[in-house]
Amino acid sequence: MASNIKYPENSCRWFIDGDSFCLITNVDSSGGANTTARKNWKAIQEAVTDGILLYYYAEPNNVSALSDVPDIDNSLHLALVDYVKKCLYMDKAGKSGDPNVSTVSSNMSMAHKQKWDEAIKRFGMKKRDKTGGMRAILPPDLT
Amino acid sequence: MAVHSITVKQILSRIRQVFPDVPETYVMNLINDALVEAGMYNSKVVHAKMSTAANQMWYDLKDAAKDSSNNVLEVNKIFRVYFMDNDGDYILIPRLIDKDLLLTDVSSESALQAPDSR
Repeated sequence: MASNIKYPENSCRWFIDGDSFCLITNVDSSGGANTTARKNWKAIQEAVTDGILLYYYAEPNNVSALSDVPDIDNSLHLALVDYVKKCLYMDKAGKSGDPNVSTVSSNMSMAHKQKWDEAIKRFGMKKRDKTGGMRAILPPDLT
Repeated sequence: MAVHSITVKQILSRIRQVFPDVPETYVMNLINDALVEAGMYNSKVVHAKMSTAANQMWYDLKDAAKDSSNNVLEVNKIFRVYFMDNDGDYILIPRLIDKDLLLTDVSSESALQAPDSR
């Protein structure tokens, strides 16, 4: 079912506040102007089935069996090994009564943390970027 | 030609090279922790549809929030929004940076009777 809004790019705005998505419009349920000098933006006035299309970063599915494949790109799978080792080495550093073992484990934990951070946070997007080809700019038509 | 990916079992075997006695449940929990953290970055891009309700300004994006087909959305960060126009086509709509927008009528919240975390 289509909406009654002819130009959503002019009549609709969105923003996020915490866990909430806010959609505001300046038209009524018939698509006519719905503003006054003091009230420019209001909640949408009509129910539109499938009216909003969102693109977002989503939570990967969890793993629950040994045969599961982690729900992220395969180029990031080895980073999971680093994350687990980071935690296990830190556990070992905390449990060990030997200061030498504790220090070495702590250093190993930091090394794996660094690899995890580089893979996921620092270079994750760049290394996995699937964009290619020539770049072009499409300027708006101002005529 | 299949893409090389590794299973939880293969991750566990790599971990056990160094920590032979580590319980598999613990490793699985750590992998899930890692997946939650990875989800905060650009690791899984999804698109989904939501329906609007008349006179409703706010829409829930909590972990359990659902799309118009009752599937869980699992949103971490929205980066693009389209709205259906009168031809049934989806048109990109702009995001407001300023949330404290003057000249906004929030009379849609007049039904609010108790504190709502939505």
